[in-house]
Amino acid sequence: MSPVDFTTMLAGMTLRNPVLTCSGTYGFGEEYVNYCPLEALGGITLKGITPLPRLGNSVPRLAETPSGLLNAVGLENPGLEEFLRSYLPKVRKMPTEVIANISGFSLEDYVQMANALQSDSGLAALEVNISCPNVKHGGMHFGTDPCSAEEVIAAVKATTDLPIIAKLSPNVTDIVGMARAAQRGGADALSLINTLLGMRIDIDQQRPLLANTFGGLSGPAIRPVAVRMVWQVADAVDLPIIGMGGITTWQDAVEFLLAGATAISIGTGNFVNPQAPLDILEGLKSYCQKHGRSTVRDLVGLAHKA
Amino acid sequence: MNCPYNACIRETHELRIREGDGEMLTEGLVVVHEYLGEAEQRLRRLVLRGPIAKTAKAGQFVAVQVQDSSISSFDPLLRRPISLAEISLDEDEITLLYRIQGRGTEILARARCGERLSIMGPLGQGFSMPEAGELWLVAGGIGIFPLYALAQSALAQGLTVRLFWGGENQSFLVSAGLKAWQALGLPIHLSTLDGSLGDIGLVTEQLQGRLLQTFGQTKLTDQAHQLSLNQIMVATCGPKRMMQAVTELCMNFAVPVQVSMEERMGCAVGACLGCVCTLINKEGTLIHKKVCQDGPVFRGEEVVWDESC
Ligand SMILES: Cc1cc2nc3c(=O)[nH]c(=O)nc-3n(C[C@H](O)[C@H](O)[C@H](O)COP(=O)(O)OP(=O)(O)OC[C@H]3O[C@@H](n4cnc5c(N)ncnc54)[C@H](O)[C@@H]3O)c2cc1C
Ligand SMILES: Cc1cc2nc3c(=O)[nH]c(=O)nc-3n(C[C@H](O)[C@H](O)[C@H](O)COP(=O)(O)O)c2cc1C
Ligand code: FES
Repeated sequence: MSPVDFTTMLAGMTLRNPVLTCSGTYGFGEEYVNYCPLEALGGITLKGITPLPRLGNSVPRLAETPSGLLNAVGLENPGLEEFLRSYLPKVRKMPTEVIANISGFSLEDYVQMANALQSDSGLAALEVNISCPNVKHGGMHFGTDPCSAEEVIAAVKATTDLPIIAKLSPNVTDIVGMARAAQRGGADALSLINTLLGMRIDIDQQRPLLANTFGGLSGPAIRPVAVRMVWQVADAVDLPIIGMGGITTWQDAVEFLLAGATAISIGTGNFVNPQAPLDILEGLKSYCQKHGRSTVRDLVGLAHKA
Repeated sequence: MNCPYNACIRETHELRIREGDGEMLTEGLVVVHEYLGEAEQRLRRLVLRGPIAKTAKAGQFVAVQVQDSSISSFDPLLRRPISLAEISLDEDEITLLYRIQGRGTEILARARCGERLSIMGPLGQGFSMPEAGELWLVAGGIGIFPLYALAQSALAQGLTVRLFWGGENQSFLVSAGLKAWQALGLPIHLSTLDGSLGDIGLVTEQLQGRLLQTFGQTKLTDQAHQLSLNQIMVATCGPKRMMQAVTELCMNFAVPVQVSMEERMGCAVGACLGCVCTLINKEGTLIHKKVCQDGPVFRGEEVVWDESC
């Protein structure tokens, strides 16, 4: 069989392949190494960090739903300072592209982190989470109001020389409007989607199942919503898209590429199959070969042309 | 199951498993899967053969994929954490004992002999073993399951082991493996809520009685402190409130106690922060540890039992 070229260009990065892992589902890169070698991945996205350390929400933080997962971790993280001291040095040495993910409660929060994270940090890009649903007044405000979104992306862009990826929330009526706002702010790429706000009620205890009441829904359950949003944004905005939301098999990955994603990212799918990235890479290769494509780049947005 | 496509997936999968040495995602061949005791107790015994036995230790667990093998589906989505109840190096086998609790374990219960189950593990940190002296095990209900592997390795090390076990009634205790425990030939203190076997009441009452008998009525003299540190260690697994009471009792007598915690899990490898347990460190600061990676066994004295932050 002829080889397939997996090289993917995205937001100024050259990735060995288009398969990434999602923020918050892959820790700080070390947790899955016994299951999936980092060398195999196009890149990883680290857990979201905030300027100050956060303990996050009470447990239970997770609840399973039909083909889905609700989480309300509440952005638990060691904070910027500890990240710079204990995690960044390790991350530099990782044999894959590493994207940091930042969250904040104010414009200043985002700027402070962007300031500390420049291209000499060894990071490949900065993903700006303007969409975390699990903390009160979290990035959500920035993620649902186009003006704020544009403002925060512009501020971050002006502060760091790293490529900026805006991570969008699906909890909006007009995803294209949000994507355009991020583009106006100067984003180099878009990540979509973050989790959908949801909840479950324990019918025996007659109270919400999650300690935080609400949580973010992820996993196969949200995939059709994510594919639709990638499709709409790809149609309207001229920025590369990292597609995510429920990707668990190679067929899912192909769907996102055809919808217009340049790269794909696996989150909850890792919990189900910690070798999902490897299986997806194998599947993508066979798919390209079967369809006579010498490069995976040929698949991007193909369904729009039909 | 006869679909050639599935067979092909399995082949590449197995190949990959054989490649890496420290491989943590493996397949376990179901060699025994049966009811443990009376069917109405809904307890199951599952013996899996595979490479995992070689590296596993008591107190660790596996994350088992629960899927009806004939139709691939993502509902239920997540793997289920189950403790290692027995580790047999000679046979390359691990035993999982579990209660059919909800949909996931219901589906798991259908796995037949000859099938292969995808397992991640061994996961977490196991119990730490005292170098000498006595190990007291305190179990509530099905909290007994992970303690069996611990008892076996403690006995193999020449430690003296004593069991305190509380359950609902005789029928439960007998179903949940009382005979196997008796076969180990160690002292056993049983209690049931209805008094149908052993003492009537809670397992903690029995533990308290024994602690008083051992250390006398006076609390925490220097002598008792020394004695307890050298001689007795407690390991407990069961409902949270029970483990909290066990910890408080042990702290009164300066007896070190290890508790095996449970929490809802996503990744089971420390990547998602879904399963945290609040501890208080030496400086008095509240910290979060991950049950899946730093636990499930923690030092009871460090656990913040009523924390809701
Ligand atoms: C480290 C660890 C070791 C365990 N060892 C054993 C064991 O040896 N034997 C045994 O019978 N049970 C054990 N459990 C509990 C077991 O994981 C649950 O009973 C099981 O997940 C229930 O799944 P279900 O689909 O049947 O129930 P459901 O209630 O339908 O499950 C819904 C969701 O909640 C989770 N969940 C439900 N109950 C628990 C629980 N008690 N702890 C953690 N997650 C839960 C499930 O995994 C699933 O994601 C252990 C749990 C942990 C965390
Ligand atoms: C447990 C968990 C934690 C997450 N934490 C973050 C986070 O810190 N920052 C962020 O931008 N997204 C976070 N996400 C969202 C994911 O990165 C991803 O956008 C979402 O889960 C959809 O993809 P999936 O269905 O493949 O998981 C988290 C998701 C999960 C399940
Ligand atoms: S289950 Fe993900 S961190 Fe423990």
